Amino acid sequence: MRRVFIILGIIVAVLALILSATPLSQLAFVPAVIALLLGFVAFYLSKQQQRPRKTIQLIFLLTLMSFILSTYKTIFHTSEIGDLEEFETKTEASMEDSKDILEDLDMEELDVDYDDAAMDTLEVEELPE
Amino acid sequence: MKHVFFSFAWLLCLTVSAQNTSIGLGEKLTYTASYNMSGLMTDIAQVTMETGQVKTSKATLLHLKCTAATYSKWDNFFKIRDLYESFVSPTSLTPYLYKRDINEGSYYKFMQYTYSHKSNTVNSLMRKKDGRGKIYDKTSTVKIQGGTKDIVSTIYHIRNLELSKALPGEVKSFRVIFDNKEMIINVTYLSKETLNTALGKKECYKLALSLKNNSVLKGSINDNLLYLTADANKIPVLAKFKIAVGNGELKLTSATGLKN
Repeated sequence: MRRVFIILGIIVAVLALILSATPLSQLAFVPAVIALLLGFVAFYLSKQQQRPRKTIQLIFLLTLMSFILSTYKTIFHTSEIGDLEEFETKTEASMEDSKDILEDLDMEELDVDYDDAAMDTLEVEELPE
Repeated sequence: MKHVFFSFAWLLCLTVSAQNTSIGLGEKLTYTASYNMSGLMTDIAQVTMETGQVKTSKATLLHLKCTAATYSKWDNFFKIRDLYESFVSPTSLTPYLYKRDINEGSYYKFMQYTYSHKSNTVNSLMRKKDGRGKIYDKTSTVKIQGGTKDIVSTIYHIRNLELSKALPGEVKSFRVIFDNKEMIINVTYLSKETLNTALGKKECYKLALSLKNNSVLKGSINDNLLYLTADANKIPVLAKFKIAVGNGELKLTSATGLKN
């Protein structure tokens, strides 16, 4: 049983560390807490059975590293927009293309008023329970 | 992101035949799009809504532009650069040209509608990548009902809707064309709520959204919500949505160039 908790603890702690290094760092808190709990159980069982605790210390070390990294990123990393140069060029090109299309439009159609009263009327209905 | 943006757009959709009283030129609204990952809201993209003017030899039109771009930390994983545009009448907000340019990871799609209001048709151009990555065009003519609008112009129509006299439970239905298909959305006015927003503490109209014959939006009446400031600008300050792959929200971060 002790071995199962140690193996699971290491796997989850490694997962937490990997997640904390990615943009999904906020998600790392979940496996980190699970790894911590598994580590405590393994530690308790090792203490009861008077077995070595070196591997359990590894679980705590990995968990601590993921906690520190995730917390640092949550506090100090601000969300910034990436490179938009290409996107802006595309937007400008789209605008020029749109102008050409609009020039070809039949402008007599502009500002056609619709009789869409049927769609615009607010109806009183019972709210669903 | 398509779902996120689409859901947000649905959440904003309403239609109105009144004159434009809420949307001014040069207005820019910026939002943060967040997605719920294991119970934690994670910021994934910035969404902007801008207005501008386009002059042709025959008329002056209002240019409505919505963009979505992922934050730099996500760009290496799943880069999104989406552009939605609509060219509308500045007074009635009737659309004449609509463009949608989607770049999401390796997915690319372009849609263009030119409206023919006399014949109630839309000339549609779709540009996509085939299985080998080669881009192809497909044109078609879609018959629409009078008053059917695109997703972008309907986003702005909501802000001209008279909500001050609406009663809780009032429902509004309208038609939107998306991916060459007409859809009907029901918008229910729920109540007024005071929210802490980027503009300060604001009293807001709380609206619930649902789609007729479409299953994009999931959940109950309280899962797909839209909050508009209860003032002359009717700024969408918060939108919550639930889709098949999870739930998220769009929160206003800044608003400039407001009309009122």
